[in-house]
Formats: sequence, C-alpha cells, structure tokens
Amino acid sequence: MDSINITGAKILFEIPLFGGIPITETQVNSWIVMAVIAALCIFLTRGLKVRATSKRQIVAEWIVETVEKLVRSNMGERFMGFAPFIAAILGLSALSSLSSLFGMYPPTADLNTIAGWSILVFVLITYYKIKSSGFGGYLKGYTKPFALFTPFNILSEIGTPVSMTFRHFGNVVSGTVISALVYAALAAASTALLGWLPGVVGKIPFLQVGIPAVLSIYFDVFSSCMQAFIFAMLTMLYIAGACGDET
Amino acid sequence: MSGEYLELISLNIWHIVVTIINLLLLMLILKKFLWKPVKKVMAERQGQVDDIYRTAEESAAAAERDRQLYSEKLSHAQDEAETIVKAATERADRLGDEIIENARKKAADTMKKAENDIELEKKKAMNDLKNEISGISVQIAESVVGREISEDDHRQLIDSFIDQL
Repeated sequence: MDSINITGAKILFEIPLFGGIPITETQVNSWIVMAVIAALCIFLTRGLKVRATSKRQIVAEWIVETVEKLVRSNMGERFMGFAPFIAAILGLSALSSLSSLFGMYPPTADLNTIAGWSILVFVLITYYKIKSSGFGGYLKGYTKPFALFTPFNILSEIGTPVSMTFRHFGNVVSGTVISALVYAALAAASTALLGWLPGVVGKIPFLQVGIPAVLSIYFDVFSSCMQAFIFAMLTMLYIAGACGDET
Repeated sequence: MSGEYLELISLNIWHIVVTIINLLLLMLILKKFLWKPVKKVMAERQGQVDDIYRTAEESAAAAERDRQLYSEKLSHAQDEAETIVKAATERADRLGDEIIENARKKAADTMKKAENDIELEKKKAMNDLKNEISGISVQIAESVVGREISEDDHRQLIDSFIDQL
C-alpha cells in the first residue's frame, strides 16, 4: 500500500532573484487561468452588436449584468467601479478551483494565493475606513465601545483577512485531502476485495471508478463555485461596511 | 520531497505579491476586455431604445392630435350637413306652401270669374227672357185687345211684374 503524501504546490523552477523566488504550479496555473479568462473575454466580446444576435454576446452581457447586480445589491450604486474587481475574484477563484477537474494543481489550494487576495481586501477595507472617517477616526474606532476593547478590536480586524483566507483555503484543501484519502482507501479496498483475480485484472483498482467522481462533483464543482461566491460576497460586504452608510 | 514540493501550509512573501499582482491584472483585463465593450454596447442600446421610445411617444401624440382634429372636422361637417338639410327642408316647405297658396288663389280667382260669368250670363239670359216674354205678352195683348197699346208702357208694366216674381 502506497503511503499518502499530501504536499503543497510543485516547484517548477526558481528565479535567481532576492535569494531565489520559487515558481510553482500555483503561479503557472494562475497564469493559465488568467489567460483563459482573458481569451474568453476577447472571444465573448468579439463583434458586439447593439442588437444582440450572437449567443456569445448574450453570455458576455449576462456576466456583466449579473456581477453588476450583485455589486449593486450588496455594495450600492457608489461602488459600481468595484464590479470588475469582484468579477476578477469570482472568476479567478472559481476557475482556479475548477482547474483541478483537468488534473491541474488548483492555485486556490495554495495558502499564498488566498492570503494575497485577503491582504488586498484588508488593505481596501482599511483604506475605505480611513477615507470615510479620517485617520484619527479610524484609530478611534479601535477604542469602541471603550478603551478596554482595543485588543479585541485589533484582533477582530486582523481576524477578518485571516478567517477569509482559511475559510477558502481550508475548503479547497480539505477537498483535495479527502479526495486523496478516499482514493487511497478505495485502492486498498479494491486490492483487498478483488486482489484474488488473476494477473493484471487483480491489480486494476475497480473501486476507484465512479465513487471519486461523486466526491469530485461536491469538492471540485460545487465547493469551488460556493467558495468563490462566499469570498466575493465577504469582500463586497466588508468593503461596503468599511465605508459606513453615508455617501 | 521537500526539495520539489512546497509544504502544504507555507507562506512565501513573493508568492503573495505575485498573487496580488495577478488579481489586479485580471481586474484590468476584465475591465478592458469585458466591461468596457459590453458597457459601451449597452449604453448604445439604451440610447437607441430611448430614441425609439421618444419617437413612439411623439408619433402617438401626433396621431392623437390628428384624431382630435378630424373628429372636430367631422362634427363640424355633420353640423353643416344638418344645417343645409334643415335650410333646404325649410325652403322646400316654404316653396310648397307658396305653390299651394298660389294654386288655391288661382283656383279661387277662376271660380270667382266663373261665377261672375255665370251671373252675367244669367242676367243676360234673364234680360233676354224678359224681353222675349214682354214681346210675346204685348203681341198677345194686341191680338186680344185688337189695338195697339203703347209698347213702352206695357213693357214697363211687365218688367215690374216679372221683377216681382
């Protein structure tokens, strides 16, 4: 029986700068996903007409309208400029996770990816908090409702990006881990049950056919889209919340 | 293995930086290649739709104006027709009355004239008859008396006698 190894991304090569920057599957797959999204955008918006006739255009308009509706209902009209950013999070997260369907290493299973997004969101939250209430007001916000709460407020502020990171990362990685475990378990079960069959036939892990696909539908398809949506949703709510209700 | 793979949970500042740049880059890509063209087309469509709506509203207003104008004209025409018919009827009535009146007058005149004629004829016939009778009476008297009496005296006598009849 094989030992089960669950590791991070495979290091493909290193850029000999700043003491070596490892380039892993995460980066390469992210770029592939980005290239696919860019190509899709260009393909969908080719030959747009005022009177939409092509399915491509309908899909393109549907994407734009859906994301804008989402942003409008969660953030309000004044944040409409965020629509492409939210679309980028949705697309990158969902397609990165879904790339595992093609046997690629999903970039969302790398803590660095999600951490990067969360840090960006955290920066935006802080920026809008300072912008809406001034730097003094921002600092004052930590002493509410009174000074004793300051450590907890700081914790909760830092907790926001950390919880966002681990929610997304945890969901994707747990899927990978469980899939790997089930796969290994099924291989073992297959050998135990059907190992008596003669020759090569006994070595074929029959139980691995079918059952992992059901898990894959949940972990790869459903969970991928769900986590992308949740991350985008939290991003919108946190940023809109940072601005307060006034304009 | 650790030489070839990253640890499952590992942080690398460069990877985080690359990720952030990736996300911002993708945002720009989406903005430029999806948002801008789609929004442009949608704005154009909105413009066209607005145009169509405005044109439709304008034509509806024009149609309404025309309709009112025509219905006004129609009611005018109806009034006019009624007036014309009324005037014509009145005139016809008057004319008819006149004609009947004329006819009646003419008939009455004719009648009167006829009566006059008859009266005249009657008188004439009476006079003739008187003359004849007085003539005959004179003759009879002559033959009876055998002498001639003054014819004028007799005539007077007889005339007064006849008148008394």
